[in-house]
Amino acid sequence: MIMAPRVRKLVLTAHVASSVGWLGAVVAFLGLAVVGVTNQDAQTVRGAYLVMEPAAWLVLVPLAFASLLTGLIQSLGTTWGLFRHYWVVFKLLLNLMATIVLLTYMETFAVMAEVAADPSADLGMVRNASPGLHASLALLVLVVAVVLAVYKPRGMTRYGRRKQRVRALTM
Amino acid sequence: MADRPRYDYTEGDTAGGRDREATTGTPRWVKVFGIIALVVVLLFVILALTKGPGGRGHGPDLHGLDGGTRPASVSADLTASGVPSVATSANGGHG
Repeated sequence: MIMAPRVRKLVLTAHVASSVGWLGAVVAFLGLAVVGVTNQDAQTVRGAYLVMEPAAWLVLVPLAFASLLTGLIQSLGTTWGLFRHYWVVFKLLLNLMATIVLLTYMETFAVMAEVAADPSADLGMVRNASPGLHASLALLVLVVAVVLAVYKPRGMTRYGRRKQRVRALTM
Repeated sequence: MADRPRYDYTEGDTAGGRDREATTGTPRWVKVFGIIALVVVLLFVILALTKGPGGRGHGPDLHGLDGGTRPASVSADLTASGVPSVATSANGGHG
């Protein structure tokens, strides 16, 4: 079903806001990760790992799902479709992959917070390079998604070409 | 003189059906992306497999946070409940 122009604009605004917001939140996490690995103050280091888990639940996860949901509505509600253009398919796969990795990584955030909260754990045990690596990779994935969304490179899937032929015949 | 934008944002979001897809076959960029995606997936599979049957997907085990590196109190708590909780230290919690 094709959305009315006003609804389409609204969903597009929500999709851009949530997707770019997700990207911004990942940059903030990258900053936290750098603090965790490099800062010399024990309280600050522990604080960085303690705040990651609740911040991820409150910011990253909702933004990831908002981006996924609005992207699905946006593609299904316009003539772009979900499986007609390669760039849309790739964006969907990138979004799904990033969301799944984020959700499975939540357990890691929880364990890192636990270690950081344990006074018996020394700082070397608290520090972990993993959030920085994951935030960097997430940033790369989300930037690629933005590039795909803006440039919309050519290329129709077999399904898309078939749909296009059918539409041309019926017009 | 600047070229006319290849893609107009307003138009593009409604005009998925515009007939700009005259070319057939798979574009080169799709093949490149496909190969990169395949390599990434293979890397994940290899990483998961090298963690052995006890590996838990993309969880803490994959990030060097197995029982051996956690403080004893945290490891014990995880073993007992399966789910980490916040108050785990042997002295009854954290300040």
